[in-house]
Amino acid sequence: MEIKINNKIYEAKEGEGIFKVCKNNGIKIPTLCSSKEFQEGLCRICVVEINGKLMTSCNTKVAEGMEIITESENIDKARRINLELLWADHAGKCATCKKNRMCKLQSLAEEYKIENFHFIPRKGEITGQEELDLIRDNWTRVVVENENPCISRNSEFCVECRKCINVCPEKAFGFNHRGSDIVVGTPYEKVLDCSFCGECVRVCPTASLMDQNNYGEIVETLDDLKKFSVAVLDFGIEEKILEQIKIGISPEKDLNKLLINLGFEKIISLSEKDKDNEDEIIKQIKTDYAKQEKINPADIAVFFISSKIYKKKNKNEFLDYVLSEREVARLVRDKEKIKTGKIRL
Amino acid sequence: MKDIKIITEHWGKIDPLKIEDYLGVGGYEALGKFISKMKPEEVVEEIKKSGLCGRGGAGFSTGNKLESVANNPKAEKYFICNLEESEPGTYKDRLIVDNNPHLLLEGIIISALSIGAKRAYIYINGNFEKQKEILERAIEQAKEKKYWGENILGSEYNLEIEIFSGAGAYICGEETALINSIKGNRGEPKYRPPYPTQAGLFGCPTAVNNAETISNIPWIILQGGKEYAKIGAKNSPGTKLFILSGAVKNPGVYEAPTGITVKELIEEYAGGIQKGKEFWFAQIGGACGKLFLEKELDAKLNFSVGTGRDLSVQMGSGSILVVDKSVNIHDLLISWTDFFRRESCGKCVPCREGTFRLWEIAKRFRDNKISDRDKEAVKDILWTLNNTTFCPLGKFSATAFQDAVEKLKIWK
Repeated sequence: MEIKINNKIYEAKEGEGIFKVCKNNGIKIPTLCSSKEFQEGLCRICVVEINGKLMTSCNTKVAEGMEIITESENIDKARRINLELLWADHAGKCATCKKNRMCKLQSLAEEYKIENFHFIPRKGEITGQEELDLIRDNWTRVVVENENPCISRNSEFCVECRKCINVCPEKAFGFNHRGSDIVVGTPYEKVLDCSFCGECVRVCPTASLMDQNNYGEIVETLDDLKKFSVAVLDFGIEEKILEQIKIGISPEKDLNKLLINLGFEKIISLSEKDKDNEDEIIKQIKTDYAKQEKINPADIAVFFISSKIYKKKNKNEFLDYVLSEREVARLVRDKEKIKTGKIRL
Repeated sequence: MKDIKIITEHWGKIDPLKIEDYLGVGGYEALGKFISKMKPEEVVEEIKKSGLCGRGGAGFSTGNKLESVANNPKAEKYFICNLEESEPGTYKDRLIVDNNPHLLLEGIIISALSIGAKRAYIYINGNFEKQKEILERAIEQAKEKKYWGENILGSEYNLEIEIFSGAGAYICGEETALINSIKGNRGEPKYRPPYPTQAGLFGCPTAVNNAETISNIPWIILQGGKEYAKIGAKNSPGTKLFILSGAVKNPGVYEAPTGITVKELIEEYAGGIQKGKEFWFAQIGGACGKLFLEKELDAKLNFSVGTGRDLSVQMGSGSILVVDKSVNIHDLLISWTDFFRRESCGKCVPCREGTFRLWEIAKRFRDNKISDRDKEAVKDILWTLNNTTFCPLGKFSATAFQDAVEKLKIWK
């Protein structure tokens, strides 16, 4: 069927979402909550005008003769207000946030020039002389959980986009409470106990769900001249790392150079056929390899770089750290900042 | 015509716990007529002719809704009676159960059979414990008389009826949220289309009707759709239960034909304004209703906004809160905004955050600490609530606040 987008005629298939048709034709629409698999229309940022009415483009299907406008004063206004409301529910901690420069909300807030001047922040650091009771009201339930071995949860950063709830194959998360008290959590707020496939961390647009690690210790180990840091790269992880850092973190496209820059002394890339004996290969580093190179195993730090964050559970004397593509990107980001003198560790 | 009573006719005269009392005043005659003389499609046709429309507030044509489910080729279909009723200031549906539960039950059985449903649910607000008990009793008595179950009154018709108790969430009065709730999911609205009439409960065509709407059905079956269409306003005929509260002499539920004016209701039904009080405004349709000043009270209460010279207003759930000048507007603002802040399901951004911010600003307004920045923010929030929320709850939460700003000029 034919539909009109911004006064130009486009071809679309029955049952397709407007957002998808626009994307396929190079028309950019911002969104926070929709993904390829799930379009729920929760963030209300992907609004467009359909026959003069504001509607979300992600979950509205095309219909014959539809006339769609993707940029207008009203659309801008809707996006600005809704982002501002979200921003005020989130505000405060970008500078020190683990996901700084890698956060979807942050980039949208920048794009739409959101400044929080209308509302008192509900989470994060509250500054100014505001009334105490108001501040107390605004401090809604925050769930911070670092007791599980793989995923660090902090609902302070959550934008309630529901991506983690939808993507989880084990239905570990859900919306708890309602209205402005809503919080993404586990049943009865128990400690997260799942197979830790890491899909939720992958889809989280903010720093609400992050890889569990001891970041300071990792940086220290990598910088330690006495430590021999070995990176074992899981099959297929290279692309994922480069995907993470190409959003403006580093222009470098050579992964080996990046890793050496971070302080790794040796890099081992696993191939597809190593899938079943990766534990064995990792074990060989502190045993056979150490013997062969005459390095004291105690001076070796083995990093497994993989999307399988459940491996964090299996750290042992032969495996010191498990890093995901996101954690590598974070290391690269901080290294770049040190290089340009922006932060000092 | 003014004295015609369809729903309240036997209120107070019969014992709601005794099916014999209801039978004594002609109860279940409509069901008998349907079973012995009518085809299901004839029932739907009569209801269409009557012009009956949804009494929950939206005013959608009941006949069209039933017809679209009836015509759906899928074998499995459901009928749901919406007894959620949590609009503040609205208590008509539970009074129907309190006073004449069998009228409602008869309506449910006829409606469900007319669309070919084998199972009907009564979705009742979890707080209505007393009403649930009355209904359970009524359902039991009706089963003994073979008004539902297998081979109803010796016919080929079968129907199961089940009461489903919600948890008392306002949003579960919205039909897609209600269906989610019965399914065991979180009570939150779903994107439409598909409409419940196409794919509702368990993916099957489902008609969700308000309890008051359903209670009109037996009368329509007995007297005919044509007769019903003669009552009240042309574009939304019938009688309606109006709930008057606030500064009127006799607050309560009154049955009156649609198209009646707000003024008539206040003066002739509720005995006028209480002595020593001065009318300020009336809120029509519960916490989500618009505010009407004295000069607007001649407006006729309808389900659709009239065209031309006929000044009419949408009555919503039919509740009319009369507010006099002694009322502190701060209290009302906080009560409205707190209600919606609490009852928003929280899934979409403008409603979750916007309702919270309105409540916050209402409190600052009470404490005399409101700033120009807040007033600007209110404009933005009301705009986004009106234009971008997922379901109508967002829009509802903005209505009264907006009227308070625009009509009552609360900012001064």
